[in-house]
Amino acid sequence: MKNKIKVFRAMHNLTQDALAQEMGVARQTILAIEKGKYDPSLDLAFKIARRFGVNINDVFMYDEI
Amino acid sequence: MKQNTFYFLTGIIGLAEVGFFWISVVLRNPAIIVVTFILGVLLIYASRRTISDRTDDERSALITQKAGARTLEIFWILFFAISLGSLVMGFATPLGIPPPPKPFPRVPHDEPNLGYFGLLQMILLCGMVFLYIGFRVYYARKYGEWDKDEE
Repeated sequence: MKNKIKVFRAMHNLTQDALAQEMGVARQTILAIEKGKYDPSLDLAFKIARRFGVNINDVFMYDEI
Repeated sequence: MKQNTFYFLTGIIGLAEVGFFWISVVLRNPAIIVVTFILGVLLIYASRRTISDRTDDERSALITQKAGARTLEIFWILFFAISLGSLVMGFATPLGIPPPPKPFPRVPHDEPNLGYFGLLQMILLCGMVFLYIGFRVYYARKYGEWDKDEE
């Protein structure tokens, strides 16, 4: 699954650490999601999308093989 | 408690457990290591809750879950096999029930050596620990535990 968290973070001037603290997860988790190494739970994905004020589809894209 | 303090405390508990294990062997009293091991694990779990500079989240839970599941997946087979061997050893000695009409053919020199059995158990337990650590490192790396920050 691809995502645009890094782009949205830059648009909102947020560091990984700041976003992680707001979401209640570790900074490494945000980093792993950005790199595509970890797919977040639906709950966390919705929380991230809501934080940026967009739909979940705008942040996360299902990458069909 | 800081995370490094926790690791330090865990190391001390581990060393103490080795000492208790040795005392247990010398005194031939298995209760010592059994009780101190359980107490040690409880102490580690209790102190882990007090770590302030670490966030346990869904990713760390997933790493723990996967590493534990993979370890058990492999080890239930080995433990089952060893338990079957233990059953044979147990049944090879008097059970305290009336003997069957024809006694089991038994040669005293072929009695199983319990010392080797203890060694085997020790190898299994150490193997389980190393396997778990291996899987933990594998999944931690897979889910980006030690990735460098790009910011």
